[in-house]
Amino acid sequence: MSVNAWIVVADQPTVGNLVTVARSLGGPVAAVVAGPRSVAETVANSGVDKVVWCHAPDDAPPEASAQAVADTVAADPPRVVLAGRNPGERVLLGAAAARLKAAVLTGVRSVSLDGDTTTVVNAVFGDISDETVAVSGPVALLLDGGSVPPHAGSSAPIEEITVAPLGLKVIETRTHGFEKVDLNSAHRVIGVGRGVKAQEDLAMVEELAQALEAEIACSRPVAEGLNWMGKDRYIGSSGAHIAPQLYLAVGISGQLQHMVGVTGAETIVGINTDANAALFSQTDYGLVGDLYQLVPAITAALK
Amino acid sequence: MRIVVAYKWTCDPEEATARADGTVDWSRAKPGLSTYDPVAMELARHLAEQAGAELIGVTVGGKGVGAPIASKAVLGRGLDRVVIVEDESLREAGRSELAAVLAEAIRHIGDVDLVITGDSSVDVAAKMVPTVLAGELGWPAVAEVAAVTGQAGALRVERAIPGGVQVLEISGPAVLAASADAAVPRVPGMKELLAAAKKPVELLELAALKVPQQNAVMTVVDRARPERKARKGQLIDTADPAAAAAELVAALRAAGAL
Repeated sequence: MSVNAWIVVADQPTVGNLVTVARSLGGPVAAVVAGPRSVAETVANSGVDKVVWCHAPDDAPPEASAQAVADTVAADPPRVVLAGRNPGERVLLGAAAARLKAAVLTGVRSVSLDGDTTTVVNAVFGDISDETVAVSGPVALLLDGGSVPPHAGSSAPIEEITVAPLGLKVIETRTHGFEKVDLNSAHRVIGVGRGVKAQEDLAMVEELAQALEAEIACSRPVAEGLNWMGKDRYIGSSGAHIAPQLYLAVGISGQLQHMVGVTGAETIVGINTDANAALFSQTDYGLVGDLYQLVPAITAALK
Repeated sequence: MRIVVAYKWTCDPEEATARADGTVDWSRAKPGLSTYDPVAMELARHLAEQAGAELIGVTVGGKGVGAPIASKAVLGRGLDRVVIVEDESLREAGRSELAAVLAEAIRHIGDVDLVITGDSSVDVAAKMVPTVLAGELGWPAVAEVAAVTGQAGALRVERAIPGGVQVLEISGPAVLAASADAAVPRVPGMKELLAAAKKPVELLELAALKVPQQNAVMTVVDRARPERKARKGQLIDTADPAAAAAELVAALRAAGAL
C-alpha cells in the first residue's frame, strides 16, 4: 500500500481541511507528526490511514524533526504532500519538498489528479490571477488547516520513530495573554485598521462586536507593529482568509494585501473618513465618516 | 562568523493588474527591494555588529536582479558584499528551484553559519523559499523570528508562536525567516549609498553552480482572472450618524447578514 498523500503536522492537530483534500485525491493517506504524542492521537482520529509520530526529546521544537519528516515522506514517496500554514508546518513541508524535489504551491484553490499529472488551480500575486498548473512529479501544497471534525471510523494506527533532533531546543516559552481565535468559524467579523487611533478605543469596537455577535480581526499593522492583537487575528494575503456572512471594516483603507483575505465575505461594510479610500470600491455598504461616531451609533441601533 | 541575507528584487502586485485573460500586467510596476527584506537586513546587521560577523547578501532571479541600482540599494543597508545569480530562466522559476539555486550559491560562498530572510516576498508571498532552502542545506529552519543574539554555534532565537513567544537555542547552522516587525529598518543615507558603490558584487553563472534537477515539472496551462463577488457599492449618508446606523442595520437585516 503505497501512500498517495502525506500530511505533515507540527504541534497543532488542525488537519481537517488537509484530510478532506487528501481524501478527494483517492488512495491511501498518511500523516507524519512532529509535535507531541497527543497531536498524533488527534490526527489518528481525523480520517487518515496511518500516522507516523516523531518521538523527539521533550525540549525539541517540531522544526528539530524536519529531516526525520523528510526521511519518512521520502521512504514512501507520495504524489502530494500537504501542510497547514503555521510556521512549524511550513518548515516541515519545506524539508519534505526539498527531499522530494517537489513543486511547491501555496495559493491552492483546487487540486485534482489525472493520470500522471497533478492539476492545481493556484492563486498568484495577491490573488489577482488564478493559474492552472499541470505538474508531473511530486507536489507540495500549503493549505488552510482547519479544525478536525468528529470522525466516525476507527482510529488509525500510530507508528513511532525515534528522532535524532537537529540542533534546536526550546529554552523558554512565554504566553502573551492574547486569546486565540478561529476566524474561519466566525459568521461575522469586524476588521480594525489604523483608523482606530488608540488601543483603549478597541473597547468601543468590542461593544459593537458583542452586539453583532462578531469576532474582532485586524489589518496586519495592528497585529504586527502596534501589537494590539495576536497575529492569528490579522487578515490578508499572508494572514487569514475568511468568508463570513458579514465583514465590517472599521478604519481600514482597503489595500489589496488586506482585502484579498475577505473577498469571500457575503456582505462587506466599510467605515472610513476618506471618501477616496480604496475600501469603498469593494464594499456593499460604505459609510464615509468618523468611526468614533458611527461605531457607537451602530452598536446602539443593534440594541 | 558569516551571515547571509537572502533577498529578492521584484515588483509589488499592488502596482500590477490582471487582464481579462488572467495574464498579469506589470508595466506600471517598478522593481525594488521586497517589502520585508530591509527588516531581515536590519536584524542581520545588528547580529553581525555584535558578533563581528561578515554580512553577505545573496539573491537569485531573472534579468534585473544584478543591476547596479539593485546591488547599491542592498549594500547601502550595511551588507559587506553581495553574491548574485542573474539568469532569465529563473524569472518564472518555482519556489523549489529558487531555493535550490540559493542553496548552491550559499555553498559557493562557503563557511556560512546563518541565513536570514524576510517574512515573505512582496510578489509571491509563499513563505516557503526559506524552508525549502533549509531542507536543501540540511539545516533547521525557524520562521516568525522576532530577535536573534549570540554567536555561531550558540544562537538564541526568539520566535512568535500562537499565543506567545518561544526562545530557542540553535547549536549549528540555520535558516531564520524574520517576522515582519522584527526590526525597524534604517533608511540608508548618502554616506552609506556612496560606500555601497565601492563594495564587492560577485555575479555567479547559473550553469557553473551544478544545481540538482527538480523531480517536478510545472506547466501553466491556463490563466483566469478570479471572479469576484459583485459588490453593491452603496454609500449611506452619514450626516446623522444615528440615522446612518439605523439605515445600515435595516439593510443588513434585509440582506440576511444579521
